[in-house]
Amino acid sequence: MSEATRLADATTSKDPAVGLAAVAALRELLESLEALQVDNARERGWSWQQIAGALGVSKQAVHKKHGGGRRLLRRRES
Amino acid sequence: MFERFTRDARQAVTAAQRAARELGHRRLGTEHLLLGIAAADDAAAATLAAGGATPERLRAILADTAPAEALSAIGIDLEEVRRRAEASFGPGALERGRGRGGNDSPRFTPEAKKALELALREALALGDDFIGTEHVLLGVLRTGDRAAVAPLERAGADPAALRAALLAARDRWRRPRRRRRGA
Repeated sequence: MSEATRLADATTSKDPAVGLAAVAALRELLESLEALQVDNARERGWSWQQIAGALGVSKQAVHKKHGGGRRLLRRRES
Repeated sequence: MFERFTRDARQAVTAAQRAARELGHRRLGTEHLLLGIAAADDAAAATLAAGGATPERLRAILADTAPAEALSAIGIDLEEVRRRAEASFGPGALERGRGRGGNDSPRFTPEAKKALELALREALALGDDFIGTEHVLLGVLRTGDRAAVAPLERAGADPAALRAALLAARDRWRRPRRRRRGA
């Protein structure tokens, strides 16, 4: 990383607009990765219980979020 | 809501929507309205430019909050994450699991809606029977929303001074062609 880039980063990383945008983008990225990995695990035969355990959440939580026919509807939700 | 908007004002809102989408923002805020107005070629845009808020400058400032840029500022390379996801799971892997297509129009933030309502109020207060980009800019400034104020200040523009300059340039405001009013 060049000195100029480092300085630019130091400036923008203190800007709340940039920091908060990073958190929002990270949350969105997290949701995308979670959906991707949960789908992959299901396709590979993982149970909801196993997926929940790996994610460190309850089985109910992961099933409510990713299971139960939601995959068919997911594309249309906004 | 948009019936009384001039063609220019509608174009500014459309440009704001386009800008929000291009920047990868999920919501259309007052900062995008600013950019849409700045990209016009009327008194509102001229006032913004004179204050330092040219469309190029505003766009560069807003680009810092685009997802890839913002994530890069905290040390995450979004393109690399996407590359790896696609290497494992195929093209579009990151977007596939999401509930939302990339083509949706970003939704207005409450502040952006408020700015448009305030634009109407500014027009009424000035006795104008139309809402031009100038009224929309007054509306945006009137909200005091940080989303618009912060980029303006970073561009070196003072919101209160912008308002004063805009009102001082009343004779250069563009009026709708069909309903030209007497001086």
